[in-house]
Amino acid sequence: MIPLRIKVDANADEPFVVRLRSFEGSVAGDIPIALDARDVVLERVSDAAEYRGEGGCIRVHGIDPSQIDGDVLLVNPHRGSADRLVRASSPHNTFLVTERCDQLCVMCSQPPKAHHVDLFAHFEAAALLAPEGATIGISGGEPTLYKEELLNFLVQTMGKRTDLRFHILTNGQHFDELDMPMMRSLERERIVWGVPLYCRSPEVHDEIVGKQGAHARLVETLGFLCRAGAQIELRTVLMKRNAPGLTALARFITSTLPFIQTWAIMQLESIGYARQNWQRLFHDSSAEFDGVGRALDLVRSRGIEAQLYNFPLCTVPASYRHLAPPTISDWKRAYLDECRDCTIKDGCGGFFEWHPKKHGYAKLGAQS
Amino acid sequence: MNVWPLKFRETPDGGIVFADDAGGFFKSDEGFLRRYSNDSLNASDLAFLRDGGHSFGKEFDLPWTSFAYRWSRRQSRPQQLSYVILVPTLRCNLACGYCQVSRASEAARGFDWTADTLRDVLAYLGSLETTDIKVEFQGGEPMLRIDILEEVRTFCRSRFREAQFVVCTNLQCLGSRELAFLEADDTFVSTSLDGDRATHERQRTHESVRTNEFFDNLDHVVGRFGPGKVSALPTIDVDNPPDFPALLDNFENYGIHSVYLRPVNHQGFARKLKQGTNVLARWNRIHADFIDLLVDRNCRTGRFMEEYYFSQCLKRVLQLGTDNHVDIRNPNFFASDYLVVDHDGRLYPTDEARMQSRIGRIDLSIGSVTDGLDLAKVALLNTSSLNNFDPDCIHCVYQPFCGTDVIDDVSRYGRVDVPRPDTWFCGRHTAVFDKVFELIYRRDEAVRQSLAHWAGVSSWAEEMAPAHS
Repeated sequence: MIPLRIKVDANADEPFVVRLRSFEGSVAGDIPIALDARDVVLERVSDAAEYRGEGGCIRVHGIDPSQIDGDVLLVNPHRGSADRLVRASSPHNTFLVTERCDQLCVMCSQPPKAHHVDLFAHFEAAALLAPEGATIGISGGEPTLYKEELLNFLVQTMGKRTDLRFHILTNGQHFDELDMPMMRSLERERIVWGVPLYCRSPEVHDEIVGKQGAHARLVETLGFLCRAGAQIELRTVLMKRNAPGLTALARFITSTLPFIQTWAIMQLESIGYARQNWQRLFHDSSAEFDGVGRALDLVRSRGIEAQLYNFPLCTVPASYRHLAPPTISDWKRAYLDECRDCTIKDGCGGFFEWHPKKHGYAKLGAQS
Repeated sequence: MNVWPLKFRETPDGGIVFADDAGGFFKSDEGFLRRYSNDSLNASDLAFLRDGGHSFGKEFDLPWTSFAYRWSRRQSRPQQLSYVILVPTLRCNLACGYCQVSRASEAARGFDWTADTLRDVLAYLGSLETTDIKVEFQGGEPMLRIDILEEVRTFCRSRFREAQFVVCTNLQCLGSRELAFLEADDTFVSTSLDGDRATHERQRTHESVRTNEFFDNLDHVVGRFGPGKVSALPTIDVDNPPDFPALLDNFENYGIHSVYLRPVNHQGFARKLKQGTNVLARWNRIHADFIDLLVDRNCRTGRFMEEYYFSQCLKRVLQLGTDNHVDIRNPNFFASDYLVVDHDGRLYPTDEARMQSRIGRIDLSIGSVTDGLDLAKVALLNTSSLNNFDPDCIHCVYQPFCGTDVIDDVSRYGRVDVPRPDTWFCGRHTAVFDKVFELIYRRDEAVRQSLAHWAGVSSWAEEMAPAHS
């Protein structure tokens, strides 16, 4: 698995953001790109890789400098570690802006915590150092619990870096009409809002997210986002509880949510609460795909994009595989032993690193 | 709860199709219609209407917003001018009886772009704001002026970020220079293929030598450049239609799976053709039977073909924003995204408008490459180019899916205010949408297979055709 946190020595009191630059192979003194004040440049490699910049020196342990060239780190000197906020070689970079959440989803992969540390200043610094044209994910917890900070962060970074795009996950519980001017001021083509809706039935949705009235509030927000011209990726994690209602949800999308950019039906990630509740939650779509296929077809027949996220290709009937892009992030993607000689592996996103070896898909390896 | 206004139409099986102004549709029966018109909808009716997006609670709530969104997406948006039909010559090396253009003979003089016209056309193209362009070369037979085609293409490739070219050619004469022109990846061929060999010869080539020329060249182009290079259209004489199974075999043989069945257009020389009475009804029968033939053939062979215009109308019923076909969209404002440059440099809103002017019926030109667009004339034409306020269309269940064609009205009736149900356009499209809805609600596996294919999904299920009783 690709490490997101690495061991670092730094002589400082407070956390800070740096970008690692290697310039390996270039002649000393002939550095081709103008350096930012937050850049540190690789000087030498001994037991650790030593980088030096305007603010001093850091030493990075346990990873080859070629793998982290251009990475943006949030260095925590006291812990002796750094979070790789932006991995320059990856399209999957996400800022976890808070671990607090006002919902308690039965399958939450990142169970919420009460404590919050505001890192927006660091995130802004990191975003400004991201590679040209990067898309940055914003996730939580629930990012809009800090709506004001989030919107300000977007205004700032999108104004200063007109090439950046954002993909923001939100449960849609906190927008109100007063946010409309700010939402409309953001360049809408550069932000996709990932919003979960689990069922057409308010009772089932509320039960899944552990919050009474969540569905009603979400429905209001979806109307708000439509009027704001926002791009919406509607996300439905597939589970035993909501699988029977998939067709009704698809019908609701065609009649009432035709403005979404895409509908993502997502397979379950076996981590956090989902791991604890796996037996109760996991819907084996390899054995029962019919409802998923019908829902996809209904929505797509109306010209609305619908896709399968986190579905290993071999668990999907051949005629639907073009709708299952490899969506599992590189750092948590794994393949099974059985995948070694698979002919469709190249286009397959594989499995979550932590996918259970038991209780998984009944029909793995279906080649046709 | 507020129910959006519903329009309705009886179907041959005794059911009733309903649709709202945003194109949300369903099928129900007389009982529902009575309850709807008497304002006595029951709880089940209201739940169905709510789920289908046919009602709302209050302004700006989600159902209201969704309806507004769907309605606005049903309106064709004016776009940048990025598609031009160029007619570098009116001369042709064929003399088809139904020619829509009143072409000039191959040896005639004064029917080609002059050097000055070419210069002005290029200057005009250079002045367009678009970054991407599609150029369709029409005629006459445009290949007779391959030199002009080359010059235009070279210019467009350097002037625009993306440029695509379609040569509408009868494929009668293909020398090495013409083939070299067609070889480029950005260049495509559109030709006429009227069905089987006998029909094609009867309608177009008239003698076996020329028929051989055409089929040899078609073979050569498809074989050399692959099937994606060539599209073909059959023109159908209602009085003497081709053998349709043979037509489909022939198209499939050339790797062409989309067939756009067009009746002889009521333009140019074709106006002189006597097609007898009841042409519209006979055309509608031919078209509907052809769709049934396709359904059976697709099911039998497992190889799916489509009738292009029917698929387009099906998508307009099912989906928002299917406005890419200029013959069916609403509003259909002129010179907004495409126009025609004639052999003398005059601009026309459509190819049909060019033909009307050519035969001296009415001058529908809207400027020239030297003087630019006559915006006042465009605005005048546009006043009749939408169906939203037509006193007949506003009652029609198919209005959200349908379009307008003011040029066709002028061509046939000499005026734009003929009651809509009396027009060819309305009669033709009512029949096409009747057929679309017949298929959508037919519980027949063969039909569902074809519908799925034409709508671009893996399978077609009952829930795609909402019904309420």
